[in-house]
Amino acid sequence: MSSAVMTERPEAGAAGSVARTVPAIEVTDLAYSYGLVEAVRGISFEVAPGEVFGFLGPNGAGKTTTIRMLTGQLRPKAGSARILGREVGRDDPVLQARIGVCFEEKNLYESMSAEENLRFFASLFGVRGLDTDRLLRRVGLADRAKERVGTYSKGLRQRLMIARTLVNTPDVLFLDEPTDGLDPVSARAIRSIIREEAARGAAVLLTTHDMWEADELSDRVAFINEGRLYAIDTPENLKLRYGKRSVKVRRRDGDAVREETVPLDDARAGARLAEAVEAEGLMTIHTEESTLENIFVEMTGRRLEQ
Amino acid sequence: MTPRAHLGIIGAIVAKDLREFSRDRFWMIMTPFALVIYIALFWLLPATTEETIKVGVYQRGLDAVIAQLGEGQGSGLDIVEFESPGALEEAVTAGESVSIGIAFPDDLLEAVAYGRQSTVTVFVDAAVPNEIRTAMQALVREVTFELAGVGLPVTQPSQELVVLGEDRIGRQVSPREEMRPLLVFFVLLVESLALAGLVAVEVQARTAKAIAVTPATVADLLAAKGVTGTLLAFGQAVILLVAIASLGNEPLLLLTAVLVGAVMMSGVGMIAGSAGRDFMTTLFTSIVFIVPLAIPAFAALFPGAASAWVQVLPTYGVVQTIVGVTVYGFDWAESAAYLGMAAAWCCVLFGAGWFALRRRVEAL
Repeated sequence: MSSAVMTERPEAGAAGSVARTVPAIEVTDLAYSYGLVEAVRGISFEVAPGEVFGFLGPNGAGKTTTIRMLTGQLRPKAGSARILGREVGRDDPVLQARIGVCFEEKNLYESMSAEENLRFFASLFGVRGLDTDRLLRRVGLADRAKERVGTYSKGLRQRLMIARTLVNTPDVLFLDEPTDGLDPVSARAIRSIIREEAARGAAVLLTTHDMWEADELSDRVAFINEGRLYAIDTPENLKLRYGKRSVKVRRRDGDAVREETVPLDDARAGARLAEAVEAEGLMTIHTEESTLENIFVEMTGRRLEQ
Repeated sequence: MTPRAHLGIIGAIVAKDLREFSRDRFWMIMTPFALVIYIALFWLLPATTEETIKVGVYQRGLDAVIAQLGEGQGSGLDIVEFESPGALEEAVTAGESVSIGIAFPDDLLEAVAYGRQSTVTVFVDAAVPNEIRTAMQALVREVTFELAGVGLPVTQPSQELVVLGEDRIGRQVSPREEMRPLLVFFVLLVESLALAGLVAVEVQARTAKAIAVTPATVADLLAAKGVTGTLLAFGQAVILLVAIASLGNEPLLLLTAVLVGAVMMSGVGMIAGSAGRDFMTTLFTSIVFIVPLAIPAFAALFPGAASAWVQVLPTYGVVQTIVGVTVYGFDWAESAAYLGMAAAWCCVLFGAGWFALRRRVEAL
C-alpha cells in the first residue's frame, strides 16, 4: 500500500443485524488499469459493519473504479477484495443480494413510476411484499409514488436512487456521490438516511468530493488520488495530525481594524494569544482548524473539484 | 441460486420490458397500425392469378382467323374484337382492356391469295415483355400460313409435355399468397427494431448496470432480452398468420419456422441495440441488418429459383419454409433442409447478439 495509511479503527455504529466478527469490506492491494492507465494502484483498507467510510478524492482519482471492483462490475487486475467474508467476483448472486449500490448516474426506468421501479428491483432481489409506501415515505416521495420518473427533478430522482438502494435492506452500501448537485433539503434527507443505515449496522462506503459532507457523516475517511491512498483515519485525527490550528483575533486600532492569526502549534502560542487578548480594542476571537479539504490539498497537491 | 430463482428474475425483467414497451407511444401506435395494414393488404390483394392474355384484334371477313386464335383461349388467349385499327391502337395505348393488339389488313385474304405483300400490324404496350411480343409475331405468321393453306416449311416434331411437380395450371400462386411470407417477415423485422429500441434504452440509460449489481446475472439479463424480443415478434406474427388464415396446413411446422425467425430477429435486435449510441445509430444499425435479411422475402415474390447469393442469406430458410408450407403444402420432411438452414443461422445471429450485448453491458 502506498504512503501513510493508518489503521486506527473507530467504534462501529449502533448495534444492528450485521455480524461484527469480520470486516464488512476488506480490500488488499487492489489494482486496476484501463490499458496503460493505472486507475487504482494497490490500495488496501477495511470497513467495519456500521461504519460510514468516506472515500474522498477528485474526479478521476479512482473512487468509482474501486466501487466497480467491489460490486463485481470490474475484475481486479491485482489484489483481492472480500465483502462480508466472500471473495468479490462477477455475477455472485449471493453476495449481490446483500449489497446496495447507488450510482452517480441516475439510472432509473423513466417510463415507470417510483413504485414500479422499486417493485421491479425488489423482484430481482427476491424480496416479497416490499412495503414501497414506507420506503418512499422515508425518502420523501410517498406523494409522488405513482408518477413516472421521467417527470422527476434531479433531487427526486436521487431520493428514488437511495430508496432503490435500500429495497433489499443491504448489509453493505456503496454510495457514489449521493448528494452531488442536490438542493440542501434533499441532501440533508439523504445524509439522514445514511446515518440511519449505519446505525442499523450497515457498512457504508461513501464516495464524495464534498469534504464538509464527508466530515459530517464519516467515521473514517480515506484520501485517494491518482489511484493511491494517501491517508486513512477519522476526520478528527487527520485534522489533529495534519491540520494547522490557529486563533484569529480582531481588534480596533484607532480607526483601523487589525487582524492577527496566532498559530496554536507554535511553542509561544500561549503567550502570544494572551498578548492578543489582553491588547486594547479587542473585537472578536475565532478559533480556526484545518478542513479536510486543506489537508487533502496539502497531502496530494490537488484540489477536490479538479 | 436455483434455476427457479433465475427463471423468476428473467420473468421479472421480461415483464418490465413489456411494461416499458406498452408505455412507448410510438410502438403502441405503430404495432397495431402495422398489423391492420398488413392484414388489410393481404385481403385486398387478388386471390387468383390472371392466367390469360387479352389480345385485341381488328379484322374484316377473317372469321377463320378469329376461330384460329380462339383455339388458344383455353390455354391463355382472350380475344377482344375492335371496330377499327385506330380503336385497337388507342386501347393498347391506354392499356386498359388489352395490352396487345393485332390489326389484320382488310385485303389480307386477297393479298395472300394473289401472293401480294401485305402488312399485319401488332400493337404492344411498352411494358409487354419481349418473349410475348415474339410469340405474337410467330402466332401471326402461323395464322397467315393457315389462311394460305400452306403449313410451316418444317417437319413439326411430336411434343410431349412433362409437368414436374404439382401442376398449378388454373391455380397459379396468387399475389396474395406471394405476399404472405413478406408480410410475416415484415412483422418479425419491425419487432426486431422494437427490441433494439428497448435494448438501446437499457444501455444508454445504464439501467443494465443497475440490474448487474443485483442477484440478476448478465446471462439473466441477456436471456430476458431474447425472450422479450421473441415474444413480441412471435406473438405478432402468430396474430398475423391467424388473421390471414394461414395456419391451415401443418400449423406446427409453420409456427416452428416463425419461432426460429423470431429468435433470429431477436439476435439482430440485440446486436442493433447494443451497437446504438442513440436513436439514430440504433436505427441505422438495424437497417444495415434488415435490408439484406428482407431480400429472401422479396425474392419470394418472383417466380423461379432465387440466386445463389440470396440462398445463403440467413432468412432464406425461414422464408422458404413459410412459402413451402403455405403455398405448396410442404410437410416436415420436405421443409427439413430449409428449416435446418434457418435454425443454424438462428444460432449464429442469436449468438452474435448475445455476445455483442454482453460486451456492451459489461463495459457499462
